This record gives sequence, structure tokens and C-alpha cells, in this order.
Amino acid sequence: MPVTISSKPTLGVPLRPLRRSRTDCILGGVCAGIAIRLGLRERTIRIAFSVSAFVFGLGLLLYVASWIFMTRSGEDQSIGQRISHQHRDTRIVLLAVIVALGLLLAVHSFALQRVGSFAWAILFSFVAVLAVWRGASQDERVHLQALLNAAPVVGTASARGWKAIALRIIPGVILIVVGLRIMNKIGGIWGAAVPALIGAMVLIVGALIILAPWWLQTVRDLSSERRERVRIEERASMVAHIHDSVLQTLTLIERAAGSEVDVVRLARAQERELRQWLFDPNFDSDSSKAPESFAALLGTIERDVESDYGVKVELVVVGDCSADEGVRALAAAGREAAINAAKWSGASMVSIFGEVEPATISLFVRDTGSGFDLASVASDRQGIALSIRQRMSQYGGKTSIHSMIGAGTEIQLKMPRSVAHP
Amino acid sequence: MNQPRVFLVDDHELIRSGIRTELSGSVEIVGEADQVDAAIEMILERSPDVVLLDVHMPNGGGLAVLKAVTQTPCPVRFLALSVSDAAEDVIAIIRAGARGYVTKNILGPDLTDAIYRIAAGDVVFSPRLAGFVLDAFASTGESAPLMELVDVELDQLTPRERQVLRLIARGYTYKDIATELSISSKTVESHVSSVLRKLQLSNRHQLTNWASERHLS
Repeated sequence: MPVTISSKPTLGVPLRPLRRSRTDCILGGVCAGIAIRLGLRERTIRIAFSVSAFVFGLGLLLYVASWIFMTRSGEDQSIGQRISHQHRDTRIVLLAVIVALGLLLAVHSFALQRVGSFAWAILFSFVAVLAVWRGASQDERVHLQALLNAAPVVGTASARGWKAIALRIIPGVILIVVGLRIMNKIGGIWGAAVPALIGAMVLIVGALIILAPWWLQTVRDLSSERRERVRIEERASMVAHIHDSVLQTLTLIERAAGSEVDVVRLARAQERELRQWLFDPNFDSDSSKAPESFAALLGTIERDVESDYGVKVELVVVGDCSADEGVRALAAAGREAAINAAKWSGASMVSIFGEVEPATISLFVRDTGSGFDLASVASDRQGIALSIRQRMSQYGGKTSIHSMIGAGTEIQLKMPRSVAHP
Repeated sequence: MNQPRVFLVDDHELIRSGIRTELSGSVEIVGEADQVDAAIEMILERSPDVVLLDVHMPNGGGLAVLKAVTQTPCPVRFLALSVSDAAEDVIAIIRAGARGYVTKNILGPDLTDAIYRIAAGDVVFSPRLAGFVLDAFASTGESAPLMELVDVELDQLTPRERQVLRLIARGYTYKDIATELSISSKTVESHVSSVLRKLQLSNRHQLTNWASERHLS
């Protein structure tokens, strides 16, 4: 269940749960999240992280670790969880960790005690940022993209025009020259490895800045190719669905052209199915499974009454809740009422209105048909009314029936919710 | 009352001809369009009383037509007509200024009735629309996806308005509602109109947008 946290910390009041903030974030929203959890000022936490970053790069490591393992507010999985579920991503991150370890061991064997801990922290942070990028949700990725575009130099990579090109090439060339100068110092007081490593890094960054547009272009091409493929797959599944259901039904309608009732029934059933498929992404076509929510239960009533009795059902549901015993009893009583109306009232339409409120669930089944006199109903209809009443009273629900001869009938069902919902 | 002058906007020829047949004789159809641009131009040129507007069309759909026409002083009323049941689409078109919403499987006489009521300045809420609106204004929504669309603090429905909406959702006609609540049909009308107004201006952002658009035009 995704949890959303408040956007500002309440000073002195620690608030659970621990989530990364999405409203107040410079990078990943870690600091603001921790501030809210501890009830401290965001700035305090930010300064704490910045200062501790200079202690062997500790703050840096802590930050990226929190970025990966803290869930973002409003999302149900952390980046770490998402990556561990995606085999491809797991492999990429593992590979990056191995490369980083190899690099560190190589550096370490040159006995670079002084830069050592920082090198560790920075390298692992790079790996972590890679992981963040791979595991970020679509929403967070948009945020990261904006961060990248706002960053100096990198942001100009996708821009065109002389100014952008100059902005990119001048720092790039400067970095390459500086890198070469550093590498020239090999053999000085620093020994061989430090200038070599730092020089190479500076050189690479310079080259990257100059080459960034082409690199970004390839990345974009790849992703647009992927999008294209997804689109084709979606189309294929849609064609399959339309073939399986719509075309089949149209054939049936052609065959049943003589019978108005059948045509209407087929058209309605197909309309409902298509609509559900188009507008309800969570719809599961497996009808053997018992529906899990109040709205879904009412949906099956609509479907069954329409197809069994050829009466139009106008279903309106406000709110929804999961189905427990009481809800099922309520739906069963509503089904009785709807069938009753479809069978006896003579009306061409039955209205069903369900509303879920914090304390109660109401269900109204109404027709504008013949109506009946409650005092003098035939015994068989009395029986049905009783079965509705019994179903309802068993779980503490209330039934009231209003009917007027010539004006129609409305059955009102109210069921208290078993657990009080806030 | 004279027959209202009606303009049809729908990109499906089949639907248009069906509606034309159903309405022939009871209203005056002054034109049809199957594209957004053509629709805007012709509506402004002929200024009909009521535009029957399809929600889903290429190039922006009914929403684009609505927005373009409501920016002009042309006094046209819109009735949205759609097969779509996506609440967002319906609420969006109502917020943009449509005076009512009915589904395309509405029966001929009901459609005529709805057109006459729109032409007379009334508001047409179908049971489904009433349900969507109740959902949008649900203050207790643990899972109300429309909450963002409506600023609940600024404009809350009154208990009476809620009552009226519930009765519409239960399938009551305005006349039934008037009887049920022992009020006049005109009062029912005014409740529904007030719900519509709250819906159209219920978001601060929307309000400023609305204001600045007015200011610019």
C-alpha cells in the first residue's frame, strides 16, 4: 500500500513512517524524509549529511544508501526492491559493483592511504546513482531528468546553437588539457598512480562532455525503439481482444438479426465487456473468480440481470470497498431485488445505486414499473421480500420497500460496515 | 416554445445519422460537423441554441470545441454525448462548460427532452454523471481518484445538494425528486445548477485560469 507523508516536518514531533519526500527534494528527498521522521528541520539534516560527507565520505555513502533503500512517498516499493525484482537491473548493478571493486583493489595496491577512503565512497556513490537511475519509478525519473537538465554543462548537451556548443566544448577542452598536464606529472612527489588516475578521470570527463550529444542521441534512439516495440505489442493484444470478443459478437448479431431481443442482449453484453476492458485496466476477464469488491459485485448483478431478463440496468456506484460477509449479503439481497424488478415490474429499466460511506453501505434498487400494494402482495412475492429482509437482518442491515401501484417500486438496503473505517 | 436549433458534432457518420433520425421533427437541426476545426467555425457562424457534442474525437475532441467556443461571446449551450464512461473525461467536459452529459444509448424521447431542457437554460444530470460528481466531491474518499480535480475545502456540496444528486443517481426524475423532497421542480433545478457551478469553479488553480483567460480575451 503506497503511503504519502506530509510535505513539511512538524518540529519536535517525530512522524512515522520513514519515506523519502517528493515535494521537498534537492536530489532524492532523503534529508526532508528523515527530517519529517525525526521532527527536525530539513536544513539540520542536510548540514549533518554534508559535514559527514567529509569524514571518509561517510555522509555520501549514507545518503545514496538511504536513497536506494528508503521508499519514496506515495510509492509502494523502494528502488532497492524494484531492482531486486528486475533480473536485468540486478545484473547491471552487480556488474557495476564488481567493476568498482576491481578498480578500488587496483588503486589500493598502489597504497594510496590518503585518497583511499574518498575513492571508495565516490566510486560506490557512482554505482549507487546508477542503481537509482535503473530502479527509479517513472515519476522519479522525470524528476531526475529535470535535475540533469538543470545541471551546468550536462544540461546543454541536448541544446543546439553556437552558445550551447561553445559552452560544451570549452570546458571539455580545458578538462582534457588539464588532464594531460596532470598525467605529465607522473614520477613527482605523488608517485605514479595518483596523477595517472586523476589525470585519466579528468580526461574522460572532458571527453564525455564533448561527446555527450551523440551519446544522448543513441540512448534516445534505443528508448524510442523500445517504445515502438511496446506499442506494437499493445496493438497486437488489442487486435486479439477485438477479434475474440467483438467480431464474434458481431457474427452472432448477424445470425440473430431476426430476433430483436437477442440482438439487444448480445449488443449490451458486448458493450459492457468492451467498456470494462477499455476503461478498467484492472479488470480480470476470469469470471469464475469471485469478485473482491462491492462495485465488482454490483457489476456482476448488472451483467446477469441484463443478459438473463433483457432489461436495461442503469448502475451507478459511488465509492468502493472490499467484500466481506456483510457486503456479500447486501449484494445478494440487491440481486434479489433487481431480479424481482426485472421479472415483475414490467419496466424496461432498473436503476441500481450503491454508495459506500465511512459507516454504512447503501444500495437502492428502483424501477418505474407497475408497482404493488405492500399490504396485499401475493405470497410468492412476499417470500422474496422476506428473503431480502432476512439476508439483510442477519448482518445487522435494514430493508425498506416503497411501492406505489402504477408508479413503481424502490427497495432501499442499508448495511453497517463491519469495521469502522476512518 | 419554438423548436430549439441544434448542431451535431460527432466524428461517426453512423451516430450522426442515428441522432438525426431520432430528433427529426422535434428539433431543428442547423448543421453537423465531424471535425474540431469545422465544428468551431460552423457553430460560431450559425450560433445554434444547443450543441450536441461528442466527447471523443481526434484533435482534442469535444473539449477543444468547448474551450474554443466558450472563449467567444457566442451564447451556445453544450450537451455532451458520449459512450465513454471514464469519469475524468466526463468531469473534464462538464468543468469546461457543458451543461449536461448523457450517454449515447439514451432513448429518443429522453434525448429530445434533454435538449429542450438545455435550451431552456436548465442542467441535465444523468444518473451516471450524478454518481461521478458524488465521487468527485466525496470528502471521505480513501480511494477517490477524482479528489485532485475538486478542491474540497473551497466548495463543499450542501446536504441538500448531495441529497438531490443521490436521488438522481437512484434513477429519480426531477419531478420525482420534487415530490420526494416536497419542494418545487424549480428548486430541484436550482440545486442541480448550483452543483454544476461548484464543479466548474471548484479549484483555485482552475479559478485563476478562468480569470486570466477572461482577462486576456
